[in-house]
Amino acid sequence: MTVGAAVLLGGSPYRRARRPLRSGRRLVPVLLDLLLAVVICAVGFRYGAGFLQVHEARWVAHVLDLVGVDSVSWSLERHILVFRPDGEVILAEVTESCSSILSVLGLTALTAVVLRGRRQHAVAGLVVAVAALLVLNHLRLAASTVAGLVWGTPALVLFHDWVGTVWNLAATLGGFLLMVCITLPTAERAEQDVAGRHTARRPDSWARPGLGYRPADDDPRAPSRRLNLTGLVYRYVLPDRVARWMGARREAERIDYRIGHLPSAERAARVRALAGDGLGAHAASLVAVATYDDDPAVLDALAESIAARQWEPVTNHRVAALRLWARGWLLQHPEREPASGARPDEREPPTQRLWPPADRPVPRPPVPVPPRSRPRARPDDPGRPMPSSLPQPRPPAADGPAVLVTGAGGPAGVAVVRRLVALGHRVVAGDADVAAAGGALAHTAVVLPRGDHPRFVEALLGVCAVYGVDALVSTVAEELPHLAAGAARLAAAGIATWLPDAAAVDGCCDKAAFARAMAAAGVPHPATATSADEVAGVPGPWVVKPVAGRGSRGVRLLDERAPVVQALREDDGLIAQTRLTGREFTADALVDRNGGLRVVVPRWREETKAGISVKGRTFASEAVTEVVAAALAAVGLTGPANVQGFVADDGTATVVEINPRFSGGLPLTLAAGADVVSAYLAGVRGAPLPELSFRPGVAMSRYFAETYSSADGSPVADPCAPVAVTA
Amino acid sequence: MVSGATTPGTGFPPAGVPTAAVAPAGDPHDSRPEGRPLVLLAYVCGFTMVALFSGLDEILGVVAGVLNVVFGVYFCRHLAFAVAAARWAENDMLAADVGLSGYTPSVAVFVGCKNEELVVDGMVTALLALDYPADRLTLVVVDDGSDDSTGARLDAWAVRERRLRVLHRPPGSGGGKSGALNDALHLVDAEIAVVFDADHEPDPTALRRLVRHFRDPVVGAVMGRCVIRNGRDSPMASTVFVDFLSGYLVNEYGRQALFELPAYGGANCAVRMSTLRGLGGWNPHTVTEDTDLTLRVLMAGQRVRYDLSAVDFEEAVVSAQRFWKQRYRWARGHQKCFRDYWRPLMRSPHLSPVEKVETTLFLLVYHVPLLSGLGLVLTVLRAFGIGDLPVVALLPLSMLLFVGPLAELSVGLLIGRVERRSAWRLLGFLPAFALSIWITTRAYVDGMLGRPYTWVKTSRSGATSTVRVDPPVVAPAGVGS
Repeated sequence: MTVGAAVLLGGSPYRRARRPLRSGRRLVPVLLDLLLAVVICAVGFRYGAGFLQVHEARWVAHVLDLVGVDSVSWSLERHILVFRPDGEVILAEVTESCSSILSVLGLTALTAVVLRGRRQHAVAGLVVAVAALLVLNHLRLAASTVAGLVWGTPALVLFHDWVGTVWNLAATLGGFLLMVCITLPTAERAEQDVAGRHTARRPDSWARPGLGYRPADDDPRAPSRRLNLTGLVYRYVLPDRVARWMGARREAERIDYRIGHLPSAERAARVRALAGDGLGAHAASLVAVATYDDDPAVLDALAESIAARQWEPVTNHRVAALRLWARGWLLQHPEREPASGARPDEREPPTQRLWPPADRPVPRPPVPVPPRSRPRARPDDPGRPMPSSLPQPRPPAADGPAVLVTGAGGPAGVAVVRRLVALGHRVVAGDADVAAAGGALAHTAVVLPRGDHPRFVEALLGVCAVYGVDALVSTVAEELPHLAAGAARLAAAGIATWLPDAAAVDGCCDKAAFARAMAAAGVPHPATATSADEVAGVPGPWVVKPVAGRGSRGVRLLDERAPVVQALREDDGLIAQTRLTGREFTADALVDRNGGLRVVVPRWREETKAGISVKGRTFASEAVTEVVAAALAAVGLTGPANVQGFVADDGTATVVEINPRFSGGLPLTLAAGADVVSAYLAGVRGAPLPELSFRPGVAMSRYFAETYSSADGSPVADPCAPVAVTA
Repeated sequence: MVSGATTPGTGFPPAGVPTAAVAPAGDPHDSRPEGRPLVLLAYVCGFTMVALFSGLDEILGVVAGVLNVVFGVYFCRHLAFAVAAARWAENDMLAADVGLSGYTPSVAVFVGCKNEELVVDGMVTALLALDYPADRLTLVVVDDGSDDSTGARLDAWAVRERRLRVLHRPPGSGGGKSGALNDALHLVDAEIAVVFDADHEPDPTALRRLVRHFRDPVVGAVMGRCVIRNGRDSPMASTVFVDFLSGYLVNEYGRQALFELPAYGGANCAVRMSTLRGLGGWNPHTVTEDTDLTLRVLMAGQRVRYDLSAVDFEEAVVSAQRFWKQRYRWARGHQKCFRDYWRPLMRSPHLSPVEKVETTLFLLVYHVPLLSGLGLVLTVLRAFGIGDLPVVALLPLSMLLFVGPLAELSVGLLIGRVERRSAWRLLGFLPAFALSIWITTRAYVDGMLGRPYTWVKTSRSGATSTVRVDPPVVAPAGVGS
C-alpha cells in the first residue's frame, strides 16, 4: 500500500454506499447495438457464407473463361477445379475465409451500428465498399487459381495463404476507408478540412465549439464552386420539377448557420418566414436559432412565432423542444409576451445590433412614433432654428419614410443626424461601432458592417426594409464605391440615393490621381511626388501622406529630402507634397446632379484636433470660390463635397484635397445659413435643390458633448442638463 | 509541500460530500517504487517453467487465446464508445449552453513554461482573452527555469498586463510540470484551479464551460477538449489531429457516457482547489500527473467530468521523433499509474465493480499495443510451426486489433464533420500503430527495470496560432527583470 493511497482510503470521512451504475440506462442501447452487430454477423454468416462461396467460385471461373483460361471449372459447388497441362487436377475449395463474407459482414455491421446516422451516405458507402471488396477478392481468387494453373498446387497455396492474406487485409482496409470516405461530408458541407481548419464559415456566435480552428493568419477564402455529380444530375438528368423539389428538400436539410450571417433584422424576418411554413418544416433551423442566436429581437421573433403556432401538431421532438424553449424565454421576459398572437408591433425596432455581433446585445427602448395626424415635415422646410450645441431631447419624428444616415459615429454623421432630427425627419443612424454617438441622437441606431464588407449592401437593404427607410445619406467616402455598386439593388428596393460618379470618388480618394487631375485642369495644387524618383522635382519642405487616407492619419511633416525619399522607397502607398504655407481653409460645397455649383462656404480652419476642425470662421473669397469650383469641375464630383486648401500670403488659393462627403466642420456651414444637409436630402429624393447662401464671419468653437446609456441601452439622464422648473 | 488545510475563502464541498483527505506532512507521493525488476523476472521465470512442464506449443496457444480475449474485450470497449459517440455526441455538441454566466467561482489559471518562447505569446494572448470576470480570475504563469527568452517575454507581458502573475523557478528546481504547478499553487487562493500547457490557446469561453460543472459538489475535476491547431504543419500533425478528434469526441466521450469515468488530462482541465490541496497537489514523481490525479480523485470519492464544448487549441507534434518522445512519456507514466494504483483501486469503496473494471481497462490502455506486438510475434511463430492455435479464437486478430480503433477514428471524423478526404488519413495510423507497439514495449521494459526517466518536454513549432498576437517589447538581456 502506498502512502498517498492509504491516506486517501483511510482519510475520507465519508464512505459512500455502493451505487448502482448510474450510466446503466445509457449502456443498454449501446449493448443492444453491439448485439445488433453480432446478429448481423451471425445471420449474415449463416445465410450469406454459402451463397458467396458458391457464387465466388462460379464467378471466378467465368471471369477466367472470359479472358481465355478455359481449363478451370466450377462444376463442383464451392470449388474451383483447375486442370493443369500436365494432367494434374487441383481441387481448390473456396472456404469461408477465402470468401469475402467476413469483410462484407464486418463493414455491414459497422455501418449499421456506428455510421447509420449518415443515412443514405452510409448506405452508399457500404454499397461501394462491398462492391470493391467483391472485385478485389475475385482478383485474389483468380490470381491464386492462375498461380496453381501455371506452377501447381504449392504455388496456389503459397499465393493464396500468404500473398492472398495480405491482399485480403489490404482489401478490407481499403473497402473500409472507401466506405468512411463516402460517408463523410463533402468539402462543401464539412465543418473542417483535413488539417482541422474551420471551413464552414460559421459566424463566431454560431460556431460549434472546437469544430475546426481558425488560424489567425488565414485570409478568408471565397468558397470555391466545384463541379459535382449531384449538380450535374440535378441540372441535366432530372426533370425540372423533380430537381426543384429535391433541391428544396436538400436545402431544407442544409446546415443552418447561414442564417447567422444575416443582419439581425433579416434574421428576425427569416425566422418569421420559416416559422410561417410550419415549425415542423424547419424545426432544425429554428432550433439552431434558439441555440445560437443571442439577439433578443431575433429570439423575441422566434418566441412570438412559436407562441402563434401552438395549434400545430407536435410532430417531432424538435417542435416540442421549441415549445419548451419559447416557454422559458417568455417566462423570463414576461413583458415580451405577445398580446394577441398578432404580428409584433412594427414600430418597435426588431434590433439595433446588426453587425458584427457585439459581446452583449444592447437593446434600446422603442422610439415612440407620433400619431398619424401630425403633419410630416417637408424636406425643404427650413424647420425650426438650429438647436443649441447641447444634445437636446429629440423632437417627435414624422410618421413617414425614414432617412438612413451612415457613418453616424463621425463628426459629419453626427451633424447630419442632428440636423435631420431637428427638421423632424425620422432618422435611422448606422455605424460600424455599436457605441457610435450619432446613434443616441437619432430615433433608431443600427450597427452596420463596414463599407468594404461583402454583405454591406445586404445589411443596408435589411435595415431599410425593417425601418421603412426611403433615402440614404452616406457620410463615409469609403462606402461610396460599394454603394454605387449596389445602387441598382437599392433603387429596386425603393431606397433613393444620390451617389457621385465612381470615377470622381476614386479621383478624390486617391491623392496621386487627384494631383494628376488638378495638374491636367490647371488648378493650383502643391507639387506632388508619387515615387522616390520624383521627389527631386518637388521642392521642400514636405508633407508625406498615404495615397488613401483621411483625418491626418499617417501624415508626416519632413524637412529633409533624404527621409522623404526613404519613406517613399519603403512604402509604395505614400506620396510626398510640398508643404504649403499660408492660411488653411476648408470649403463645404454642394454640386447638383448636373454639375451646377449650388453653394461654396469657405471657412478658416483656425484650430484642428485629430484632423477635425474645432475652431473656424466663415469667410467670403472670390479667389477661393473660383479655385474650389474649378477643382470640383476637374474631378466631376456631384453632391456634397469638402474642399481643403491654403490661401497664401499673396492671396492665391491652392487646393490640397477634396473629400466627396460632408465635412466634420459641417455644423459651422449649417450655422452660417447654408443648409446643405436639407438640400442634399431633397436632391436624394429627386426634388429640386433650393438656392443656398451663407453668412460670412460666423465663428465656431467646439467642445465635447456626451451621450449616456445604461447597460441595457436605455438612456441615462444628462447630469448637466437644465432642470425643468414649473411655476 | 503544501499542507493539507485550505486557506480561508476556498470553497469546501458541502457536508455530506466526500472530501479529499488531508495529506500528511512531507511528500505524500514519494513512496512508490520506480521499477519492479523482480516482478518482470518472475514473469519470465514463470513462463519458462510453465513452458518446460507443459510444452512450449501448448503454452503459446494458451497465451494466444488469452490475448484474443483481451483484444476482444478492448474491441468491444472501443466499439461501444464509437456507438455511444455516434448516437449522442453530435447532439451534445448542438445542445444549447445552460448557466454559463451565472456561476463564477474564483479561478486560478496555471501554466508551466519551460523554454516555450515560440508559443508563449500566443498562450498569454489567449489567456488574456478568456471570458471571465476579472475580479474572479488570477492568471499565473510559471517560468520553469527556461534558458531561452520565455522568462523575458513573460515579464514583458506582466508589465503590460497587471492581471498576469509570473513566477520564475530557478533552473533545476525539479518536479517537472508538477513541481512548477505545485509551486504556483502556493501563490494563489481560489476555488478552482485550471491548467493549460504553454502551447495551448483556450477558446475564450473555455473557462466558463469548465467551471460550470463544479456546481455539483461531488465533482472534483473537469476535463475539456483539446483540439489540434496545426494539422497543416506536417503529415504527422495531421494524423495527430485525427487521433485527438477520436480521442476526445469518441473515447473520452464514451467513457463519460457509458461509465461516467472520463479522465482528467494534463491541460485544459480544472480541479477543485480544496480537492487538489487535500490530495497534496500534483504528483511530481510521475510524468503523467493527469492520470495520477484522475485516479486519486476517483479514489477520494469524487468525480471527474468531461465537457466536449470547453475547447482549447494545442499544437501537435510534427515529426516521428517528437511523437516518439511524447508518447513514450505518456506510456511510461500511464503504465506506472497502473502499477501504483491498481491494487488500491480494487479496494476503493467509491467505485462499483463495473467502474473498477472500466478503470482497469483504462489504466491498461498503454499495455495493449505491447500485447498486440506479442500477438503478432505469436502469429509469426505459428507460421513457422511454433505454437498451437489459440485456445480461444472468436474473431481474426486483424479485426480485433484494427476494427475497434478504426471505428473510433471514423466516428471521430464523422462527429467532427471533417471533409471526406480525411478518411485516407487513417492510413497514417498503420505506421503509428507499429510505432506504438515499439514505444509501449520499450516503456514497459524500462519502467519495470526502473531505468531513470525524468520529464521530457515536448518540442514546439509555434507555426500556427488561433489568436492575433501583439507581443510586448522584450527588454534586452540584463535590462529589467
